[in-house]
Amino acid sequence: MKVVYNWLKEFVDVTASAEEIAARIALSGTNIGGVEKGVLGGVVDAEVTSNRPDCLSVYGIAREVSAIYKTPLKPIVPKPVESTTAKASDAVRVAIESPELCARYTARVIRGVKIQPSPAWLRERLEAAGVTSISNVVDVTNYVMLELGNPMHAFDLGKVRDKSIVVRRAKPGEKMQTLDGTERVMDPGMPLVCDGDGARAIGSGVMGGASTEISFSTKDILLECAYFDPISIRRAARSMKLHTEASTRFGRGVDPEMAEVASRRAAELILQLAGGELLSGVVDVYPGKRAAKKITVTRAEILRVMGADVPDKEVERVLSALGFAPVRVDQNRGQEGALLAAWECTQPSWRAEVEREIDLIEEIARVYGLDKFPARLPVARTGAARLPQYEAETRLRERLMGLGYREIVTIPHVDAQRDELFRAANVTPAKLANPLSEEAGVLRSTGSVTVAAAIEWNLNHGQRNVKLFEIGRRYALNGAEAVETPVLAIGATGEVRPQGLHDGARDYSFADLKGDLDAIGTLSGGIGWQDGGPEWLNAAKRGRIFLKENELGAAGMLAKRVAEKYKFRQDVFLAEIALGPFYCAYYGVKNARRYEPLPRFPAVERDFSLLLADGVKFADVTKTIQSLGIVEISSIEAADLFRGKNVPAGKYSLMIRVIFQSREATFSDAQIAEYSGKIVAALEKNLGAALRAN
Amino acid sequence: MATSVDKTLAEQGVQSAEQVAAFFEELRARFDTEVLAIQDEASWEAVRHAWQGRKSGIFVLITDNWLKKANAELKAVVGQGFNALRKYVDGRLAQLESEVKAGTEAWENVKDRVDLSLPGVVRPLGSRHLIRQVFQEIEDIFFSIGFSVVEGPEIETPYYNFEALNIPEHHPVRDDMDTFYMDLPKGSPGQLLLRTHTSPMQIRTMEKQKPPVRVIVPGRVYRRDNPDATHSFAFHQVEGLAVDTDITFCDFTGTIEYFVKQFFGANVKTRFRPSYFPFTEPSVEFDVSCVFCGGSGTTASGTCGKCKGAGWIELFGAGMVDPAVYGFVGYDPKKVSGFAFGIGIDRLAMLKYGIDDIQAFFQNDVRFLKQFP
Repeated sequence: MKVVYNWLKEFVDVTASAEEIAARIALSGTNIGGVEKGVLGGVVDAEVTSNRPDCLSVYGIAREVSAIYKTPLKPIVPKPVESTTAKASDAVRVAIESPELCARYTARVIRGVKIQPSPAWLRERLEAAGVTSISNVVDVTNYVMLELGNPMHAFDLGKVRDKSIVVRRAKPGEKMQTLDGTERVMDPGMPLVCDGDGARAIGSGVMGGASTEISFSTKDILLECAYFDPISIRRAARSMKLHTEASTRFGRGVDPEMAEVASRRAAELILQLAGGELLSGVVDVYPGKRAAKKITVTRAEILRVMGADVPDKEVERVLSALGFAPVRVDQNRGQEGALLAAWECTQPSWRAEVEREIDLIEEIARVYGLDKFPARLPVARTGAARLPQYEAETRLRERLMGLGYREIVTIPHVDAQRDELFRAANVTPAKLANPLSEEAGVLRSTGSVTVAAAIEWNLNHGQRNVKLFEIGRRYALNGAEAVETPVLAIGATGEVRPQGLHDGARDYSFADLKGDLDAIGTLSGGIGWQDGGPEWLNAAKRGRIFLKENELGAAGMLAKRVAEKYKFRQDVFLAEIALGPFYCAYYGVKNARRYEPLPRFPAVERDFSLLLADGVKFADVTKTIQSLGIVEISSIEAADLFRGKNVPAGKYSLMIRVIFQSREATFSDAQIAEYSGKIVAALEKNLGAALRAN
Repeated sequence: MATSVDKTLAEQGVQSAEQVAAFFEELRARFDTEVLAIQDEASWEAVRHAWQGRKSGIFVLITDNWLKKANAELKAVVGQGFNALRKYVDGRLAQLESEVKAGTEAWENVKDRVDLSLPGVVRPLGSRHLIRQVFQEIEDIFFSIGFSVVEGPEIETPYYNFEALNIPEHHPVRDDMDTFYMDLPKGSPGQLLLRTHTSPMQIRTMEKQKPPVRVIVPGRVYRRDNPDATHSFAFHQVEGLAVDTDITFCDFTGTIEYFVKQFFGANVKTRFRPSYFPFTEPSVEFDVSCVFCGGSGTTASGTCGKCKGAGWIELFGAGMVDPAVYGFVGYDPKKVSGFAFGIGIDRLAMLKYGIDDIQAFFQNDVRFLKQFP
């Protein structure tokens, strides 16, 4: 709502400049978009919130200014000269068939007008307010709408069939050609203003019909000012994409009491600018007249909600200035500052949304000044709790960062085809009904798809060495229910270590991914690995991840088929695990953790260099050794692995390190020799391993 | 004639205490002269050997030739002089030892010296996303004044996102919150949407617990806006809610001011402007003095571009919980009161760190991520 300063001054006598006023009303509930200096004293762009249709008018803003500056608001009393012979009620008939859509309809008739361009003062004000000037009569209807907030419409009475107006609900499929030249199908349920022939306007003023449009040949006009139900107007405006100054005002609720005054004001201006004869009286059909609501506000409630007092004088001054006509009704009337003070107020017709005591308290507070309520910190009466997973998630995040991964945050809206690359067959994607674009059509079914996208972005922007993770959610539908699962997704590519002073360069490999996952797995008691994994991972370089018997997720190198879709020219590694069970295990493991006394006797290490057939796994080796039941074996580690030189084809060399630890005594050489012999024998027998000379 | 430790004192004609003292004085001077020649560990060792050597060091000779053979009258005097000399020499040699040894480790060879201008072993470190950092900071501030942290679903029902927050169907506010809806199977009962704010958790929290309630809700929200430098269709909020039998507007402003001063610093100025939200009454917009121009509206290069000369920056919306909301959760609006707020995290981070494109958060370019370790 653009408020022209000189126009505003017609209703309230303030000396403050447009900028000063803007700054001041901004602190009392009218948001200010800006102030345009110079034109007509300045134009204030008031960004009126949707609960304040009364401020969508110069007069409404003037009321705010008058309350804030403690300056009286001038009344609106238009007195157009009426015909002494002809009556409006003889010239036009009005019937409201749908009173639930149209609570009031007023019609005035002016005969013999001369349609011509508007004078400069009117054009300037309209243009400053952002409305295009058309002709004197149409301009007046717009002018009065801006001034008083009531949209109105002027019909060419000569074109109104039977001189009869009927307001009714649109019929299904009903059509009308609107002023903008398009034929529109009416939304059933919207209020239509019709004549004997059919629809002539959608709600008066939302959009006029072409057939009764004012033209330069128009002589007689029917001036309509009405009240339409806000919800049906909003629904119609939205379904037909007809957002006009009028639909905005009707949609938020205009002042029905003001309709007749506004019509009179318009008549006064039309007579002044277009001449003609105003028929006497007004055809005023008002089936929906509301009785003024009474609302009581008490000091006790002001104190309870606001936490500080407002003096009686201020309560009464603010409420009076805004039109609420407060009257003290408590038994302590006349006693200033009484704790039990209560004021009965009358809801003004322009403030339909003020219905409750709390609404009045807001009115008092905003005009009195929010800064007058002293800030204080409330006392906490209970302890505060973090999210249940807070500690586990924090430690997970810190460990990942320590391992060199950078946290990312991605938007879960992804392309359905991309999503499908990573989606398990039994998952129903969470598809959007109204996406902004196809590329953002579904919510990700996996954390991997968005991590892959982040890697893609970085590779495309010259960042070739990337280690990323995201702690987020993946989404799916289960019938008509949504499932959101917290997941960790990891993605890495390029060099894990650059060429430097102290170390050579090395590419990120599956072993890095596995080692890092094992490192975070220790937070939850250790993870297990099994062969297999989703199809989007390379069949030779992937694995399923378990926490005890629970499958948590998978890790591996991106399959060639998928990598090609992204045009990746370097190996990309991805992993994804579900975090719910992971966090759960974190706390279980933490609570069960107990100290293990340190051994008092030295440990003994023995290395075994084995020649094994390809396909024999390290796990086969450890299982074989463990099956011997040597309780003093505290660990079996893989110390070295190689193929090639001096190793026959089909075989590989594996060096394992076995650590013996006794809690009873120091080992003798004979004891270790005996254990070593058993280990070698078992490996030879069970796995066909050969011991290599070191 | 020089003092000799190879001969007894008697042989050198010493008969009085004064003569004994002069002899020791001379030895001390000899030691001081020899010390001057110490340059490195080897020369230190030579001096040490000459004086403290076990077989023919000066100390051994003094003991054998002077002390043991001194007559009864002079024995005590010799003993005193000898002790004083030994204490002095031992002390000086120990002091010099640490000096020469340190000297050889650090500076013996130029090639062994470290070049401090070269990097050490670089271990690649990760980083936490800026959005996550800001979440954490805000959580910590509110946690410190008794707010618990809760979270909730992003895919919500219209009931929690709108109705229970006093936003009935066809409410004009719904037009401002353009909403994503889920494509559900045909015949599904009801609709699902992507929450447009974290406020649904107000309802879910109050449904679950009785007052006092003090929670914050970090989370992601969605609005169907076309992406540009200041709009993203996914962004982040922290919702706050405090409800009790004695929470007032003053407690509300106090809490918000405390937060902002913790977050932006004690010098920031704050103000509350009346506004409108269906689920709060009174509703406010909360402004802080512009952190770029200090609230003056101007910078060295003219009008401040961040606050457009206003000196204030709009931070977020908030207010006292509308009594109508209590009706949806079974609280008695006559007995309880409270406040709620919704802080936009992305915008806050952009303001604090001078980021001019919201998309940078979600592109996850490592050059961006590195800047916020």
